[in-house]
Amino acid sequence: MSSDVDEGFRQTILRLAGDEVQTCIQCGTCSASCPTAHLMNPSIRKLIKLCLDGKKEEALVNDTIWLCTSCLLCTVRCPRGIRPKAVVSACKVLAEKEGIKTKDAAYEQIFSKHIREYGRIFELPLTGEFLLVYPQGMVQSMEMGLEMMPKGKLSIEVEKIQGREEVKRIMEELGK
Amino acid sequence: MKLAYYPGCVSRSTGKEMDVSTRAVCSALGIALEELEDWNCCGATHVSNELAATGLAARNMAQTDLAIMTSCSICYSNLRSAVQRMEEPETRARVNAVLTKKYVGAEIRHALDVILEVLAKDDDVISIPLKDLKVAPYYGCLLTRPRGVDSPEFPVLLEKLIKTLHAEPLDFRLKTFCCGGPIFMPQEKAAEDTAFMILSEAKRAGAEVIVTVCPLCHIMLDAKQRSLEQKKSEKIGIPVLYVTQLVGIALGLGPEELGLNMNSVSPLPLVEKIYERMV
Repeated sequence: MSSDVDEGFRQTILRLAGDEVQTCIQCGTCSASCPTAHLMNPSIRKLIKLCLDGKKEEALVNDTIWLCTSCLLCTVRCPRGIRPKAVVSACKVLAEKEGIKTKDAAYEQIFSKHIREYGRIFELPLTGEFLLVYPQGMVQSMEMGLEMMPKGKLSIEVEKIQGREEVKRIMEELGK
Repeated sequence: MKLAYYPGCVSRSTGKEMDVSTRAVCSALGIALEELEDWNCCGATHVSNELAATGLAARNMAQTDLAIMTSCSICYSNLRSAVQRMEEPETRARVNAVLTKKYVGAEIRHALDVILEVLAKDDDVISIPLKDLKVAPYYGCLLTRPRGVDSPEFPVLLEKLIKTLHAEPLDFRLKTFCCGGPIFMPQEKAAEDTAFMILSEAKRAGAEVIVTVCPLCHIMLDAKQRSLEQKKSEKIGIPVLYVTQLVGIALGLGPEELGLNMNSVSPLPLVEKIYERMV
């Protein structure tokens, strides 16, 4: 896969993830530290290179960005003080803006919607809504539900916080 | 000691025992908790826009002048990341422009660190020393990342606490290895393999109990344990306790007060064993 050099994309990544990303020396400490590196293609190291080279399509259309567990090991180890996880997050934001549809992107969108509407997350309504777009997750969700429900841990009810308008403003104005 | 308390969303659902035991232990240790007013979700690992995530954390932090304590390592990491981001003047200005109460700085603490501090001054409160109890300390990722009070590579706080309770911390090689929880939906098998590897290693090391500081790690190791045993045809049978539950047992608090009935792998037989070792 090849794509044109997109300088605007590169600049947006730097704005979202920090200017220091430019100082990457491609040492691969991030990839070597990543607990899901064996599942990724491109690796985190390559993803950063793709972003710096302005290869928008290759950076955004892949499973890599959705395989990050946010463990932050890359971030505490990077010898240049770059936060590779912030690069992944920036790619997720841009993939969503580009309308790239994956089940993982859908999950994040529903998660954010629940924060905007209630201020807090309640696992049962969240999972319920996600299963409408990803019915394949039904078996694993049911398995968890059967484990949690008898312990009184899952409730269909949601508690809405008072400051919902403020939370909505945070999500919408800062999330632009 | 008086602290603001940020329970986090799981305190109302899958992590109820984390919340129940946190409140019970703090009360027993004389730590007064004032729940943050009208707190909101920290975004967990699912709000990718960093500025919005910082805003969510900052709204919580602006609700109090007290130091803020949480038992959830995900909330803890997110609040601490936001404190770092808010040191950038441009970020602080942009975030404060949308906040009703403005952020002016915050001190964030994890319950583990707070409890250790209190027990270091007075360990007479430990009425049930957990002698000979073999504990696998499982940190997961976010307690120590971003870099804070403990090393992100070789953390020691849990071992310190386990020793304070007179139990034996095992040399647990996978103690900082990610549980796989965040990719459970997209990559079920990979996540399950990872969680099972951690459980098997705990078994190999001879653990009688695994102690966690993160509600997602807890789900992967406790709530999923039975299903993992079936899929892998191997019995594990190791209870997984929140650190506050383990402390509570040593303080002599009862199973109800610590939410021990809410764990998937019942810790009750282990508690009986602990009581038997007392005599």
